Parts: sequence; C-alpha cells; structure tokens
Amino acid sequence: MKKRLYLILVVLFASFSGVMAQVKVSGTITDPDGVSMPGVSVVQKGTTNGTTTDANGKYTISVSSASAVLQFSFVGMAPKSEVVNGQSVLNVRMAAESVGISEVVVTALGIQRERKTLTYASQQVSGDEMMKAKDPNFMNALSGKTAGLDIKESASGTGGSTRVVLRGAKSISGLSNPLIVIDGVPMVNNSQGGAGMWGGTDGGDGLSQVNPDDIESISILKGSNAAVLYGSQGANGVILIVTKKGKAGQTQVTFSTSTIFESVSNLPKLQFEYGSGGNGENSWSKTKGNYASNYVKNFFQVGDNLINSVTVSGGNDKTTAYFSYSNTTAQGITPNNDYGKNNVTFRSTTKLNDKLSISTNVMLTAEQSNNRPANGYYLNPLTGLYLFPRDLDFSSYKKNYQVFDKGRNMYLQNWFENNDKQSNPYWIINNEPKIDITKRAIASVTIDYDISKHLKFKARGNYDYAVKSYEERDLAGSDATNVGKNGAWSYRKYDDNLQYVDGLFTYDNKFGKFSVNAVAGGSYQQTTYGKGFSLGTGTNILLYPNEFNFQNLPSNVQVQSTLASREIKEGLFANAQIGYRDMIFLDLSGRNDWASTLALTGNDSYFYPAIGISAIISQMATLPDFISFAKVRGSHTTVGNEVPYNVVNPQNTISSGGGVNRNTQEPFTNLKPEMLTSNEVGTEWRFLQGRAGFDFTYYDIVSTNQFISLAAPSGLGNYTTYYVNAGKITNKGVELTIDAEPVKTSQFSWKTNVNYSFNRNKIVTLAQGFNDMRIDLGSGEGYTNYITAGGSFGDLYVLPFARNAAGQIILDPTKGTPTTVSEPVKKGNLEPKFSLGWNNNLEYKDFSLSFLINAKIGGQVFSHTEAMLDAYGVSQRTAQARDKGFMSINAIQGTTAVTQIDPATFYQTVGGRNGIMEPYIYDRTNIRLSQLALNYKINVQKLKLPLKSATFSLVGRNLFFFYKVAPYDPELVMSTGLGNQSLDNFNLPATRTYGFNLKISF
Amino acid sequence: MIALLMGACTKDFNSENTNPYQISDASLKQDFNNVGSFYPAMMSQNNAGFYGDQISENLTYESFTRHMASASNFASNVNNCTYYITWNSYWGDIYGNVMPKSAQVLQIARPTYPVFTEWAELLRVMAISKLTAVYGPVIYSDFGSLSTTVHYDKESDIYNRLFAELDTINNVFSANTAYTGIQNFDQVYGGNIGQWIKFANSMRLRLAIRICEVNPTLAKTQGEKAIKDPGGLILTNADNCNIPLYGAILPLARICYQWTDTQMDAAQESFLIGLNDGRLPQFFAKCDPSISVADHPGFQYKGTRNALAPIDVPGGAFGKGVRSSKFSFVNASFNTATSRRYMTAAEVNFDLAEAALRGWAVTGSAKSYYEAGITQSFADWGASGLSSYLADNTSKPIDYKDPLVSPVNDFKSRSTITVAWNEGDTNELKLEKIITQKWIDCFTNTLESWCDMRRTGYPKVPVNYINDSALPYGVIAKGAFIQRMPFVQGQYTGNPAGVAEAATFLPGGDLIGSPLYFVPANAVNTGTGGTGDTNSSAGISWTNF
Repeated sequence: MKKRLYLILVVLFASFSGVMAQVKVSGTITDPDGVSMPGVSVVQKGTTNGTTTDANGKYTISVSSASAVLQFSFVGMAPKSEVVNGQSVLNVRMAAESVGISEVVVTALGIQRERKTLTYASQQVSGDEMMKAKDPNFMNALSGKTAGLDIKESASGTGGSTRVVLRGAKSISGLSNPLIVIDGVPMVNNSQGGAGMWGGTDGGDGLSQVNPDDIESISILKGSNAAVLYGSQGANGVILIVTKKGKAGQTQVTFSTSTIFESVSNLPKLQFEYGSGGNGENSWSKTKGNYASNYVKNFFQVGDNLINSVTVSGGNDKTTAYFSYSNTTAQGITPNNDYGKNNVTFRSTTKLNDKLSISTNVMLTAEQSNNRPANGYYLNPLTGLYLFPRDLDFSSYKKNYQVFDKGRNMYLQNWFENNDKQSNPYWIINNEPKIDITKRAIASVTIDYDISKHLKFKARGNYDYAVKSYEERDLAGSDATNVGKNGAWSYRKYDDNLQYVDGLFTYDNKFGKFSVNAVAGGSYQQTTYGKGFSLGTGTNILLYPNEFNFQNLPSNVQVQSTLASREIKEGLFANAQIGYRDMIFLDLSGRNDWASTLALTGNDSYFYPAIGISAIISQMATLPDFISFAKVRGSHTTVGNEVPYNVVNPQNTISSGGGVNRNTQEPFTNLKPEMLTSNEVGTEWRFLQGRAGFDFTYYDIVSTNQFISLAAPSGLGNYTTYYVNAGKITNKGVELTIDAEPVKTSQFSWKTNVNYSFNRNKIVTLAQGFNDMRIDLGSGEGYTNYITAGGSFGDLYVLPFARNAAGQIILDPTKGTPTTVSEPVKKGNLEPKFSLGWNNNLEYKDFSLSFLINAKIGGQVFSHTEAMLDAYGVSQRTAQARDKGFMSINAIQGTTAVTQIDPATFYQTVGGRNGIMEPYIYDRTNIRLSQLALNYKINVQKLKLPLKSATFSLVGRNLFFFYKVAPYDPELVMSTGLGNQSLDNFNLPATRTYGFNLKISF
Repeated sequence: MIALLMGACTKDFNSENTNPYQISDASLKQDFNNVGSFYPAMMSQNNAGFYGDQISENLTYESFTRHMASASNFASNVNNCTYYITWNSYWGDIYGNVMPKSAQVLQIARPTYPVFTEWAELLRVMAISKLTAVYGPVIYSDFGSLSTTVHYDKESDIYNRLFAELDTINNVFSANTAYTGIQNFDQVYGGNIGQWIKFANSMRLRLAIRICEVNPTLAKTQGEKAIKDPGGLILTNADNCNIPLYGAILPLARICYQWTDTQMDAAQESFLIGLNDGRLPQFFAKCDPSISVADHPGFQYKGTRNALAPIDVPGGAFGKGVRSSKFSFVNASFNTATSRRYMTAAEVNFDLAEAALRGWAVTGSAKSYYEAGITQSFADWGASGLSSYLADNTSKPIDYKDPLVSPVNDFKSRSTITVAWNEGDTNELKLEKIITQKWIDCFTNTLESWCDMRRTGYPKVPVNYINDSALPYGVIAKGAFIQRMPFVQGQYTGNPAGVAEAATFLPGGDLIGSPLYFVPANAVNTGTGGTGDTNSSAGISWTNF
C-alpha cells in the first residue's frame, strides 16, 4: 500500500514538472488593515498548481500563461481571483467576508474544507463582525447574524448566561444546547442555576469566560448533519470557535479599549397618583394625591462596561506565538452589581521539523460577579421598588433601610411591613450580598504529523478546569420567609472539568477526476461537573447572627457533597468525502459512541451513520452569465443523544435527619439513547460575480426514544417516578440567508445580508398509553408551560375568563367579580413564528457604518409582573381606570348584562398571584435596532503616526424598538432552562448599551 | 479489534455513572443499616412523612378543625379555608414517601427481620389511617400493583385491614419483646418493643372509636380487644408516641413565625379563655398590645376567625394587610420543639371515657377517664391550675369579637359546656365534654379532631363566614362543614378507572360534601345547618345507647 502511494506521488510530481514555469508572478498579500498575511493559499485556477504566502505575506508562483487566473483564499477572508494579465507583481488586499463560495471553512473536529463541498448548512461569522459591538459574553453578539440560531440573554446583567438553541428544542429531558468547541476541542458550557418564579439568580455559564478578542472566526454547524463527527454531543449542532494564532514574520501588537454604557430602556408603566389610603400594602385609594414618582427611575443607574485588551503576536518560520490579556470591569444598572474579569491567553506553534509541529494553547480566566440581579418574587429588590404604597415616603426608607433595634442590639431591616414578596430594595442590595467567582484554565496541546503529503495525523489533548463558588449572605433582618432570624448563608463551591483526547488521520488526494478527503479517528472525553459541596441554611437559625462560616451552622443544616454529573464518552468515527470533477461531492460518515450514562443497559454502545451529497450545478451545466455559482445539497443523519447522568440506577440519600431516604425512582436498565434523525436539503446560489446570492435550507428533524420522566400514579409499583423511552418530537424549518453588495465603487460600498428562519416544533406523541398526559416544563403561579401530544415546546397555559356562549365574561353572581374556569387553557406559544435579521455594512472611504435589525415575529409572552402591579393598584392602567371611574366590560352577572366594572374589583380579581391571567398575555413580536456601529479607520500613514492601523468606533446595542407590544423585552429571559422562557416576573428591565471602541495595532 | 478495545474501556462505566455521594444498598449492609436506616426518614417531617405541612395540613384539617386560622384574606380570599380546594397535597405526602419506601423496605425485611417487617407495617397503619380520614377510599391492599388500574379499598375494608394488620403486629411484637434490633433506629421509643405494643393497642382503640357509630359491633370487639390486651395502652405521658422532628422545625412554628401565615383561631379563644384553660399560655403567645382584648381583659390573647369576611378591603394580591402579625401566634417554644405528638395518654383516656359511655368493658368510669385525660393533658402541656379547672362548673365558652372589623366576623359561641363532670348530664352532653377536651388536647396533632367533628359534631365551633365551595369539588351548604378532600388530579390522569371506581364508594361521589364511612347517617351537621354565624346547635342524635 505504502509503496503504491509513493508511486502515485512520484507520478504526480513528475507530471507537475512537465508543465511548469512559463511566467513567474510574485506579490504581497495584506489584510483589510494593510497588514501582511502569511499562510494565504494561492492557486492557479483550474490547476493544482499552488503555494502559500510566507511569513511576510509574500508569495512567488510560476503560472502556465500570462492570462492565468490566481485564486487567493484564507479562512475568514473572501476569496479573491485576479487575472495575472502579464504582470509579474500582483499585490492583493484581502477583504474580511463571510459569504464567499470557495472559501475554506472549519468543520467538525477542526477539519478545514472548502465551503462549496459541504453537504449541509453552516454559516461563518468573522471575529471582526463579532467585535463590532463587544459584549463580555461573545455569544450575545451573534444574535441575528445567522439564520436558525436563537439566542436569548438571561435578565441577569453582565456575565449572565445565554440560552442558545439551533433549530429548536429537541429533547424533553436532555439538553438542546449546541456544543461549543474551541479549536476543535469541546469546552464546558455548563450553566449552574437559574432564576424561577419565586426567585433565584442566574449562575452564569462558561461562555462569558472566553475572551472575545481571541476569536478569529466562528462557524455555526446548524444541524446534526454537520456535527455528526462530534457524536451525541453534537446532536444539537455545534458552534466552532477558531482562535487567533501568531503569524510568522511580523510582530504585531494590538491594543483595544472599549467603553460601553448601559441604561434602562424599558420600565413598567407605573402610576404615582393614588396611594394606599392608609390601607396596608395596596395603592387602591380612590383619592388622588401627588406623590413622589422618581424613586423607581432613580433606583437604577447607568451601568458601564470597560474592556481593555492587548494582544501580541508574531513568530518566525519555526515558531509562532500569540498572547493576549484582557481586563473587563462592569457596573450593572442596579446599585452594587458589578463584574470583573481577567483573561490571559497564550498560544504557540512550533515546527520541530518539516513533518512535525506542536501547538499549545492556554487560556486562563478569573471572573467575579457581585450581586447579580435576581428575578422572581423572593429577595428581589424590584418587587418592593415597584409595589411600594404611593402615599408612603420612599425616601425615608431609602435613607434608613436599616434601623437600630434596641431589643436585639443590632440593625434590622426597615420596611413598611413584613412580607414574603417584598423587602426594602436598599436593604437587599446592601445587606444581602451575592458573590459569584469562577477561575478557569483551559490548556491544550496539539501534535500534527504529516506522514506524507496526503496523509496527516493529528492528536489533541485538552484539559478544561474551573473552580466556581457562589455565596449569598443574607443579614439578620432579611425577609423571614427565606431567611432565619440570625441571617441565612448559601454557599457552594465546586469544580467543573473536562478532559478530552483525540487522534485523527486525514487523507486528501486526487485520483484523476476524483478527489478524496477522508478522516478517521477516535476520541475520549471525561467530564465531571459540579463536584464539590453546597449548603443553604434557609430559615434554620444560625448560632450567632451575621457570621457566615461553617462553625456557625446549627446542627440541622446539612452540608452536602455534590456531583452534578460525571460521564465518559468514547467514540470512533470516520468520514470520507469523495468529489467528482469538483462538481459532485459525496460525504459519508459513521460514528460509534460508548457512553457511561448508559452503563448497565446494554445500550451503551451505539452506532449511527450519515450521508450527504452536494452538486455544483454551475460546474455541471452552462448557466446564464449572471449566475456565478449554483449548488444543491442534501444530507441524512442519525445521531444518538445521550441520557443524563445517574438515572439508570440511582441510590439512596442520607437525609438531614440522619436517616436514609430510600430512592423512589425505578431503576431503568433498558434505557436507550435518544435518537435524532435529521434530513436537510439546501441550495446556494451566487449571482453577478458573487455580488449577490442566497443560501436556503429546509430541515426535518425527528427525535425519538425521548427520555421522559413520568410520575407514577399513586399506588402503581413501588416507585414514585420512572422513565420511559418514548415520544416523538419533530422540528421542521427553513433557514434562508440572502446577501448582496448593491453598491460597490472604489469610494463607497454597501453590503447587506438578511437572515430568515422559522422552526415548527411539534410533540407528535408522548409516552404510549399517556396520550392525554401533560408534562410540566415549569410553571409559576397562574402560568404553566405544559407539553402534550399534539402541542409544542413553549405552549403557554393560563386561566382564562369564564365566558358564556355569547362571549360575555361571567361574573360571580354575588360578588360581581370576573370568574375563571377550573383548568388552565392553552393561550399561545412562547416561541416566535419566525425570526429575521438584517445586517448592513456601508463603507465610505475610511468610514464604515453597520447596523443590524432583528425581528422576532409572532408568538406570545406572559408578564406576571403586570398582573402583580395591577393587583396592587400601582400600574398606570389602574390609575387611568380610576380617573375614568369605571372600566368597560362585556360581562354578565346572573342574567343581567354588565358593561361597567369597578377597577379595584376587576384588577384585584384578575391580577395578583393566582388571578385570571388572560389579560397578561402579549404579542411576542418585537423588532429592534439590535446593533449600530460607526467605524473610522484613522489614516495613520497620513498622520505619520507610529502605528500600523487605528480604528475608532461608536457602537450601540438594542438602542430602540421599532415595534414591541409586550411590556418587557421578550428576548431577555428569566432563566436559560427549557421552562420559564419569555416569562417576566420582576425581571431586570431591558437595557440599551452605547459607547466607543478604539483599536490600535503597532 | 478496536471495538473490543473500546469495549474493555467501558468497564468503569457503571461506577462512573453512579453518584458517590449517594448511599448504596451494599454500603448500608454495614452495621445492618440496610433495613433500619430507612425508618427515621419515612417518619421524618423533612421528608413529608406522616404529617403534612402548610398546604397539606395547616390549610386543610388544621383550619377545618378551627385550631389555627389565617388572619388575612389571602389568595383573594378564595382557598381551602373557604372550601374552594386550591391545595390538595396530603395524598402526595403519603404516596410519595411513606408507601413506596415502606414497600421497598418490606421487600428487604420480609421474612428475615419479622420485627422490622411489622414495624414497617405499623408505619403504614399510621399513614393510611390518617390518609383515609382525609379522602375516604384510598389505595392500600392494591398498593404496588403493576396493572394499569390500581384499585382503591372501600373504607369498611380499610378498617378491617388495619385491624388485621394490628393483629399481626401485636403477635410479632409480643413474641419479640426482648428484640433489640430496632434500637439504633427508633427515636420514638428507643427500641422498646413493649411501648410499641402499647401504641399499637392505642391505635386499635382510636380506630375502633372512629367507627363506633357506623359499625358498633366491630368497634366494640376491637375496642375491647385493645383495652384488655396484656400489652396495655398508652395511659401515661411517658408512653406517648411523639415522632421526632429529626432536626426540622415544627412546620406550624415556621408557618406562624417565619411566614406569619397562620394565627390562633377564634374558636380557641372562645374555648380556652371561656373555660379559663391553663393550657392557653402553653399553646399561644400573647397578641400585639395594639389589639383590643376588652372582651376578656385578663387575657392578652386574640384569635382570628377562619374563612373570615373580607376585612382589609381592598384585599389585594396577598391580602395580608396589617392583621397577620397582630393576632396570637403559637407559643414561641414551638420554634425549638424536637418532636410532634402522634398519640397521647390524654387522647387514649378520652377514648376510654367514650368507650365507657358506650358501654364497652372498661375498668374505670367515664368520669375517671375524662378527668385522667385532662390531667394527662395538663401534665403533657405543662399547664397549671388543674384542680380548679376540673371543678369548674360555671365557666363557659365565650362569644367572639373581632377587634379590628367588628361586628362582621363576630360570632356567638355555639357551645355552652363547662369543664366539670356531672354524672347527671345526658350522655350527649358528656360526649360533647369529652370530645371538646380531646379537641383541646389534640393541638398540633389535629386530624383525629376532624374525625370527631364529622362523627359527633363536637366541639361546636363556628362555621365558615365565607363559603366558596363550588363545583367541581362540590357545594357545602351554608352553615355546614366540609366532609373530606377530593381525590387528586394525578389520579384522574394516571389511574382514571381506579379513581372512578373509588368515587362510587362514596355516597355522594368524589365531592367535598360526601360524608365518610365513619360519619353516621343521622349526623345533623353533615349537610344542612343554620345560617352563618347564627348557626344553632349541631350534634348527632344519640342512638347507640
């Protein structure tokens, strides 16, 4: 075999030498900033004759004729073709672009492929695009820039977690989040804790720990078709991050600084005219007064976000190195909420000899959030802030949020009443500190060995280790529903780690009209999440007040060892892409997984295949001139989705009382992996020399063998919960990207790009025999997120008005209050019907202006906040109704038609915790100016500055809404879990951000 | 070959997929913890053992019996207390914890450990006897079935089965009085089997009294069996069955002090102050000084009426208003309680007093048991003034006046009893005294009082001012009392045929007004009564003499 391979090589070289060298061309390739680019591929069109630029960005190539065409390509850059036209020097300035056709893109496992050969949808976003409006969590900057990627930020300020879903949720109990991969290796993106209806605070995720400045480009593999080589963890798609490397030949130092301000853009509409009339906590007086109104607005402050980073990169022929340091400090919009982060990255590649190179990459992060805002009822400053009775004096409570209690010889909370749902907001922000700390190191080493020109071997090892802690210290005097009289202490500290090793062979060759790109390898991954301990004293009484340490714990508080999840995944995989005459590509993949979460089931080894095909029509047939490229593609994939940890055979737990709590989940030893079958077809067209084009994908994903937890009906068996593999969930959707460059002159250009997507999710069946079963994905008061057979994820159930056949609201015959029905009714869906992103980039001389408009159309959201504000009589609409003296209603009491109702009677029945929630459902549709950036490229040569380049930009995010009905921002979520999506219960208000960036290269 | 290699790497998968911080059955074999360690957790309040918590106990029978009440119009003043079923979770407490866990423990214990086996059966008797008093028909003999329909037992069958279980328990315990195996796990009696026998006999007597109106023959047989069993009954407080809280706070103390959601019921004020009861300061804390106690100046205690009229109008979302923290809380010492009463010597003595009234073979007289019951209760609660209390034949329950929104929530006491025993009283009046005293003693352990109320109509507590009962749960006539909790929603979706069949076991179907098995047909207070707070005397006709 080996001999034969050499023979082929010899023959190939021989044939090259036969046609070589009529015209010699050389030149320098530079990036958009004029910096020379090493490693750019230079190929004579229609031949295999090619080279790459050296460390100084210089190339020399001999081409067969003076009219030859040279093609230049580089990851993240638009490929460029230039006719030699007899020139001996051909300098080229590359343009950063992400919609090229023959660009080289990064695919699963970090394998580079030409974009045109792909049989599935993928989309690239350059690091520059990401950096236009910097966000400490880089993922938030992706919103609207790719079709089919749904991003929702948690309403928890800087450093909070982000919900990322590609092509809809696919699993009831498992994860629907895509895998995040850095330079080919999976990274931990483990979100810990979210808020709920009753309170809680987002625990952040791993994404904010990546330094956005390190990102060279991002590839989004939208479906399992693209991600099959990652196996089960890629079942929900993959987000591939390529980080920056050092470039040979040139030392480059870049400094960038970014100052972004954040301010509240959307507060609930409140009234400040009617007080409580001395009647407790509600502002339902009918007598108008004139009360202080600015304390709500004044509670919030302008936040700021400062990011300073420096990168140093360079190298020589043997070694390249990249170093970056970044510091982020941020102040939130609520007092005492701040965030700080330091990132250090060091990356180097050394060529030991012609065949062997070693790369290492170390990323270190230290991150701390203080007083990350809470959502929900409990220990949330916003409840007290919004609900405060209008006729009382807020300023005195603000000033004296604590008062000295002689009985206890200490300061205690001062608020107008004791209440579980509200505290003095200033007490909470001052005396209930929360500290979130993460320290993380990701270290990896890669060995590349070129066995031959065609056969290469790569081995990678990665260790991702994070130590995290979360602490909350609620001082004595805090709300007694949650906090004991001596204070409450919550503390958890744990490690997350991931060890990953893989080895893969890649083989690229051409055999006549056929090309082969093949990969085969294996991977081993071990993850341990949440290993540590936790405790929460809650209302148990600490021995001594306001001492938060282990010595002060009462005996009835259990300190728990924790291990959230631990898994081993092993995989063997192979993929071959066979091309015919550069026009048809057949892609075959297979992977076998072994997953420890399926131990004892006999199903811990499972195989799945994938097949894809792409045909480049523009190569196969002669198309009209205006069509420069046309391709169709299709693929079929099956992927297993592993089940959660420790559900096969859970054991017993030691209870805080000292006994042993016997496990009541039935052991599930015939558990199977969830299976996702995904079909997608797509087509990609470029017109007018690539100045316009579109990319269309239709997919149909069927998830079966859903892993579903069922509550056993009382008395059935000796367990309370059991699991079944059942159910069928489908996601069908369309992704369409249209891009064009309508104007292109030497002075001015306009590039525009539209991303459109929709996803239809359907729960076809749940467990057999349980067709009328509903699974509760998260419910609050007055609101339930059920899934049922025939329904979809995100179905919203609330209690509606009871109405007669004529549509009149039935009033209670004696009390005259609106009535409801006994069971909640489906009143909408929390997912949008479709999403649109419109991204524009205008360049004029040294200026460029970009703006992004994001639209989410359709769907419903639900605001519990508004229901509460109404019940308390503090919403603006309750004041307007009182001004008028009545509310119009189409109702019936007994047999009497009623057209007017007293506002207090109405809102106190309809609003509140468990009222009739029908009026609090809003159209989800929102259209916003998501991003606006104005860049000015400072002409450093002209100004004779000792710089290579300098760019100054003004940026803004979420500046305003073109259209929004809901009283809050539906894309800002209470938590990033499957339930509680688009629900508002005293969430942190929406914000806009604006500021400036300066980037200087030396 | 490679596949084989990978196969070899999967051998650690099981340990990898096992949580090291859970405790396995294998580990529990050390020190023979594999059976006994589960008992404390099954009983523990932490794990929702026999007792309920706020929504399953405080807002159900603890309110229905008028032991505790909420001073505010919470949840828009439409909730369990006003007979609109909003929370119904006691079912889940028992079937989520005691029953499945004991079923598994029984599998481990039987037949190797007979005492553990019967101890687990006794825990089930303790749980099911409470559960059936809340719902009526429940799943007992068919528990653990794997068929699609799990059958409920008729109440008459449940009591027969409970008695039969108590027979086996008594047999095994009596044959193993020297067994020490449960010592390490028994924080109720420290492994003293003799005391468990007394408890089992007292359970038998409790259940016999519960059904004495509807099946007098069986009740008498079982009652006398309990009374004459050589193992004896719980007659002194040293033998009381108190279940440890295993480090948890007494839920009532939490609901009261931490959540300010529950306060002293007005009926407690009416009886305890009216009868000049020494247990009052042991049960309750003084009310806020701003609250008027002009109607009984010597007693700085104030209760609030259950299912009260809308008072802090406009009531608002939480409706807590200003009242909640002003009425009497439970005594602060409940915050540090370490156990809960399940069966007291006082209750057993009151049962014996009723047994004497009903002509069962007992050694003492109704008077002697009645007075012994009060004596044990005073001792158990650490109350003073016993002798004058026992002799008091003039003090009577007082009328109630709401200090904040009088007269809306005011009521006239329906009861006119005194404490002192009078042999010349009618049996009906004697029964009212016994049951009223039992009701006082049952504070914090109120379920049996609810059974007594439905069975006998005593004590004569005020009716709901607000009654929101409505379909689908059923309508309670104005001035009448709720009879049971409806079956839970999960049964209608998960076990529809089983629950449909169970509904047919109830005279009125699955409604909150359907009287349970132990309620005699002629009980006046089951369906109709007077109106509002002017309700006249309830009480049953005294037919079984």
